[in-house]
Amino acid sequence: MAAPPAGLPPFDRPAFAARFGAALHRAGVPVTPERSARFLDVLHLLPPVDPPTLYWAARLAFVTAREQIEPFDRVFAALFGGRADPADSRGAPGNPPLPGLEPGPGAPPAAAPAPPRRSGPRSPLPHGPLHRDTVGEAPGRPARTGAERLVGSAAEALAQQDFGTFGPGELAELDRLSADLAISVPLRRTRRREADPRGRHIDLRRSLRRSLRTGGETVRLARSHGRLRRRPLVLLCDVSGSMEPYTRVYVRFFSRLCARAGSGVAAEIFVFATRLTRLTPVLRHTSPDAALRRASRAAPDWSGGTLIGRALAEFTDRFGRRGMARGAVVVIFSDGWEGEDPSAVGRETARLSRLAHRVVWVNPRKAAPGYAPLAAGIAAALPHCDAFVSGHSLAAMADVFDAIAGRGPSAAARPARTPRARP
Amino acid sequence: MTGAATPGTAEPARAAVARAVPDPTALHAALDSLGYLADPGLTTALYLALRLPQPLLLEGEPGVGKTEAARALAGVLGSPLIRLQCYDGLDAAEALYEWNYPRQLLSIRLAESRGVPLAEADLFTDAFLLRRPVLAALTHPGPLPAVLLIDEIDRADDDFEAFLLEVLAEASVTIPELGTVRATVTPVVVLTSNRTRDLHDALKRRCLYHWIDYPDTERVVEIVRRRVPGTAPSLAADVAASVRRLRTLEVQKPPGIAESIDWVGALTLLGVERLDPDAADRTLGVLVKYREDVDLVRDRGLAWLVGRPEG
Repeated sequence: MAAPPAGLPPFDRPAFAARFGAALHRAGVPVTPERSARFLDVLHLLPPVDPPTLYWAARLAFVTAREQIEPFDRVFAALFGGRADPADSRGAPGNPPLPGLEPGPGAPPAAAPAPPRRSGPRSPLPHGPLHRDTVGEAPGRPARTGAERLVGSAAEALAQQDFGTFGPGELAELDRLSADLAISVPLRRTRRREADPRGRHIDLRRSLRRSLRTGGETVRLARSHGRLRRRPLVLLCDVSGSMEPYTRVYVRFFSRLCARAGSGVAAEIFVFATRLTRLTPVLRHTSPDAALRRASRAAPDWSGGTLIGRALAEFTDRFGRRGMARGAVVVIFSDGWEGEDPSAVGRETARLSRLAHRVVWVNPRKAAPGYAPLAAGIAAALPHCDAFVSGHSLAAMADVFDAIAGRGPSAAARPARTPRARP
Repeated sequence: MTGAATPGTAEPARAAVARAVPDPTALHAALDSLGYLADPGLTTALYLALRLPQPLLLEGEPGVGKTEAARALAGVLGSPLIRLQCYDGLDAAEALYEWNYPRQLLSIRLAESRGVPLAEADLFTDAFLLRRPVLAALTHPGPLPAVLLIDEIDRADDDFEAFLLEVLAEASVTIPELGTVRATVTPVVVLTSNRTRDLHDALKRRCLYHWIDYPDTERVVEIVRRRVPGTAPSLAADVAASVRRLRTLEVQKPPGIAESIDWVGALTLLGVERLDPDAADRTLGVLVKYREDVDLVRDRGLAWLVGRPEG
């Protein structure tokens, strides 16, 4: 666009709002024309007389979630030189105000030259993948593990195949299969009532309506009953080195199952290695593979050691205790190899089990012959889990489904309630 | 443009709001005079919510003053604060309106015994209507709008959100027996969420969004002193510093403003003027409410907590 003008052209607010919005959109803040229009309304009420005012006006108009504050700040800093957070920027010398802003509402031409500036070195999107390309591509790596060999073979063979050896062909087959599966989550009674002739409560409203039909005489009482709802499902997936191929399948599988219209299951999906990343909002707009790639980019420790205890603690503190885990079915996918403090895994699983309706631990290593839960992490966690299953293949996923639904588990799925395996 | 030209907003109401709150500075001063200290971001958010007008979605850690912000806003306007606490299973009958069935039954019996004919329409009039928060806010006579606080919206079911969306968009509700009730004065709507689940994008789209950060120590001191009259200045500063220190520990529930205020209140009641390990020991339960957290604090040392390494 035009170079920064020396003489101030008339300030074109709509163009300014549109460009600002576009810059934010490129940085990942979901900006719609409606939001840009709101920004215009806000500018009318709050003339951008100084950077903090402009900052708050723009942030309130454009940002709709906490996660967007960081990219917003980045774009704002790139556009207007320095984050205009009122706490640290008021009159700060290192925070050059928008050229032409000071004279008052009539002035700022700054948006015009700005977008080229931000698409330069600080562009948040292009620089991301550069040095992590290899890690980002990692999920595609097992493609060579004999994928083509099995394509087109019966679902039977697929059912027994270890998820760890899945390539794109198997994944596609899995997608087709998951279309026919339905997941069942236990129910709970809510305070909302629905009509039920054998219900426990008397529905006064409908009873009265009926009585009007019979001349004000209540002949038959209408009854209602607490409605049943499915419990929420929370999936916590370990993405450390050895678990990563499995996690890829799990995330794909469950996000498809739960996203399907009418599944009636609200699932929250998290991944963790040394820190916790929430995938749910990302998965709504992105394919599971892309979401995992993005998560790996955001978490530099991807495929490193696992801090299960810390990740569980982070989940409980940030999400679980506030309500996400309350009354929910929590499924942990992990091999239980804790890199730091095994006792933390036990402690945090215990905390989680006090909040959740059920805690299910899925460990693909369990399928290996002669497996005993010897990893200190899993040994500490098992006493607090309601079920312990392998889920290493599609056939084994049936046990996972049973465990989630709380159906009478097969003998194999019984948790080791007595921690005999504790070293 | 969905929000700016909300139907039913009478121009006089808008003018009255503009007169009461001409600019953010005036709003800040008014909030201040009510004992609510808002930072520039929150002030701007509240100002825009009033003047655009547009519902405001407030998020932040528990205890940073989300609910209090709505209360203060109502105070500035001199309007009632109408609060709807959300929970799982909340339905229209509890949010909107309900017919007063016992009273209707009574009227039927009364009419029978007196031999007065009673039409169905006689039973569904204003006199038998129980106004729940949303309807109460919509029918607030004005001239300034009521403040409708929809607290912890994330606890309600998502279908309640859809219902709420309709009310927010239209500023009117339809009662089958009575017809459509339009807002006399469109209420100022403040929603709070603890982020236990994601809200519908459609709902977010209609709202202004503001994340309230935990305030810095000086502000905490100022807030505490305002909320607990008769606090020794030294005590407020001690408590604010201790709470800040405690927030650096990995406790399960980091104490917020509310806990700070409670703690100062408790200490003041006990006649404490400077925080020391002994006073902290006696009142720790006001500040941390998990056994694990209590253990953690005691392990780290109460002397550390109160900022006296020597004890």
